[in-house]
Amino acid sequence: MAQKETDKKTGSGTGKLARNQRICAVLSVIPAALIIASVKAWPIIQTVWHSFTNWDGLYKNDFVGLANYRTFISTGLFSKLLGNSLFLLISVPAQVLIGILVAVLLYEKTAGWKAFRSIYYIPQIISLVILGYLFKSMFSQNGPINQILMLLGFIKTPVEWLAKGTTALPVLTICITWYSVGWQVIMILGGMSSIDPQVFEAAKIDGANFFTRIFKIIIPMISSTLTYCVVMSVVWTFTSLFSLIYSMTNGGPGYETMTLDYMVYARSFLKGDQFGFACAVAVVLLIIVMIITFINLRISKAAEKEWG
Amino acid sequence: MKRKVKQVIALLLCIFLIGGLTACGGSSGGEASSTAEGEGAASGEKVELTVWINGKDSYISPDEQKKPEEEWYINQAIARFEEKYPNITVKMIVSADGETAHQQFKADELAGTAPDMANLWTGQYTYQLEDACLDIKDMIPAEDKENILGWDAVTTPSGKILGYPTSDNQVCFFMYNKKIIEECGLDFENNPPRTTEEFDAACEAIKAKGYTPIVTDEAFPWFGCFIMNYWWAQLSGVDRIVANCDGTQKFADDEGLFKAAGYYRSLMEKGYINEDALTSADSFNRFTSGQAAMTPQVSSAVGDAEAALGAENLGAILPPDMDGASITGGTIGGPGQDIVVSASTKHPQECIQFLSYLNSKEEIMEFEKVQTKVSTRKDVTAEDLNIQEGTATAKLFEYSNNMVFWVDNTLTSDVCAEFTQLLSMVLGGQMSIEDFAADLDNAAAG
Repeated sequence: MAQKETDKKTGSGTGKLARNQRICAVLSVIPAALIIASVKAWPIIQTVWHSFTNWDGLYKNDFVGLANYRTFISTGLFSKLLGNSLFLLISVPAQVLIGILVAVLLYEKTAGWKAFRSIYYIPQIISLVILGYLFKSMFSQNGPINQILMLLGFIKTPVEWLAKGTTALPVLTICITWYSVGWQVIMILGGMSSIDPQVFEAAKIDGANFFTRIFKIIIPMISSTLTYCVVMSVVWTFTSLFSLIYSMTNGGPGYETMTLDYMVYARSFLKGDQFGFACAVAVVLLIIVMIITFINLRISKAAEKEWG
Repeated sequence: MKRKVKQVIALLLCIFLIGGLTACGGSSGGEASSTAEGEGAASGEKVELTVWINGKDSYISPDEQKKPEEEWYINQAIARFEEKYPNITVKMIVSADGETAHQQFKADELAGTAPDMANLWTGQYTYQLEDACLDIKDMIPAEDKENILGWDAVTTPSGKILGYPTSDNQVCFFMYNKKIIEECGLDFENNPPRTTEEFDAACEAIKAKGYTPIVTDEAFPWFGCFIMNYWWAQLSGVDRIVANCDGTQKFADDEGLFKAAGYYRSLMEKGYINEDALTSADSFNRFTSGQAAMTPQVSSAVGDAEAALGAENLGAILPPDMDGASITGGTIGGPGQDIVVSASTKHPQECIQFLSYLNSKEEIMEFEKVQTKVSTRKDVTAEDLNIQEGTATAKLFEYSNNMVFWVDNTLTSDVCAEFTQLLSMVLGGQMSIEDFAADLDNAAAG
């Protein structure tokens, strides 16, 4: 009886405490939520609304229904730009795989690991615009890449790498991979710090080689980190390549290297007053990113279940 | 005690808040007083105008940028204006990027913070901002309308005049290196190529000597906009091009476009244009370092080219004429920039006074002492400016008498965006002219 009384008291006390904590938590979240709502949600709502108008950035703002979406999709522009963005996604598995390899080498303190850790991160601190110009000059007609390939006898005349989509997109992919590996390494190293070092030692004693350790221990044990890396890289590839493309190819020749995020800029600011159309492109981009993120998360959940 | 402290704090906070509001009110009061000033300007009260000036290539030359601001022509012109009109002061703000200024102006107009005047690019760039600019058609003094060229560059299709053209009549032409041309056995001074056959023959002769006949950067199709568009306009006529844009005619049926673009592409196919034209960004340096015989340019580049090659070694020729052209012996050009008056200005009359002053003959003569440009004033000639006969600049004054206004600035914004984006693919042979024309028709259809 006495115990029941105590439980009741404790229970009611705990319930009150929990309720207070919940209220406190909600109150704590409200300011941040309001800020996010005002700086993120409101512009998104505005963008969605403007995508159904012929907004010119000034006072013309008539409702045009789905006209912007129809134009974007029916002219073949959508499939072209989506194709370009999907091609550039090749860099994501490349940067994650290279990131894992480098992270493991650094984790195992290979000779010179401290210097390599800084070196791998250097591209991340270079502005993407500068990086774009750097790669543009490297892959120019008289640039070092052509010189080296000619010296080695792979090509006889210089290749105009950035003059055609078929060569310009792979060059962009290489550039993105080179830029992003440092970030992947840091993230993966962070994930690996949660693995007990004894696991590695035990694996080594059991005769697990370098690749076995990667595929049988590291990847399964940092699957949530890898999921984060993949999701962020995919989203970044879809939404943040503007400065790189601007400095390297300007989206050209034609639309050969243009991506959806670049198109938003092009239609709004380059000789354009098609803010309504640009908003429609931005909404399409938002939907694509949401779908891809959703798929990514589902796959990673399944992987987590599989690997425990 | 505690309560008293709280009361004191509350009182202090109230005072602070009221003080802050008063300070904010002060600035809006400033705007209000600005209106009053505007109304009172006629009665001699002070008016302050703000003007954005493009810091790259209009009233502030690259040479001037190396000097203190007080020595810039535009600042001295403002000082002279303020001396003449003591009740008006002009505050200049340098907008570093000419292209971005358009969007910035649009955003500021929406936010109610636009300057009274802004230096923008003419044609479609300005027409897009029609709602943000004041129609000054009925405010321009008759003397200005009569003596200044280039009003068409700032006049919308509906007839509104949105600003004053800046005094820089940009003329497109082929700049050439006299030494190389002579070395190739050609005489462009006395016998310039006037037909496409003659032009091809000249390019062939230059190529045979191991020089690149034409060097250009076509990632953005400069050659296309400077020269190919002239070929198009001289074959089809500007009215036809406008009709293509408004959908009453089709680009796909425009033979002039097909011929002009076909010849443009043929120059690349024959090896007369630098191989890396689609990606290069240093064509002007290559030209001035003597690697190429010609480069398509505009008049504002003459000064730099003369400094690099020497005035005596720099020549200018017009683009050759296409067979069957209705316009001949001309080129593309016109004022590429203007100064518009904001729709929200409270001092429109004072803005016009300033723009009229800046475009007066006396001021243009002062301006030309600093930057030699082809003036937009009919009463300022090459002789007035002591420009030596036979020089590239003197020729540009001559060429300015027969110019077709910038075709790319005449295209509607949708068509122009597509045109500049895709033309380099036509040059590189990655897109057929038929597909190009069809895409332009799609853009025109919206």
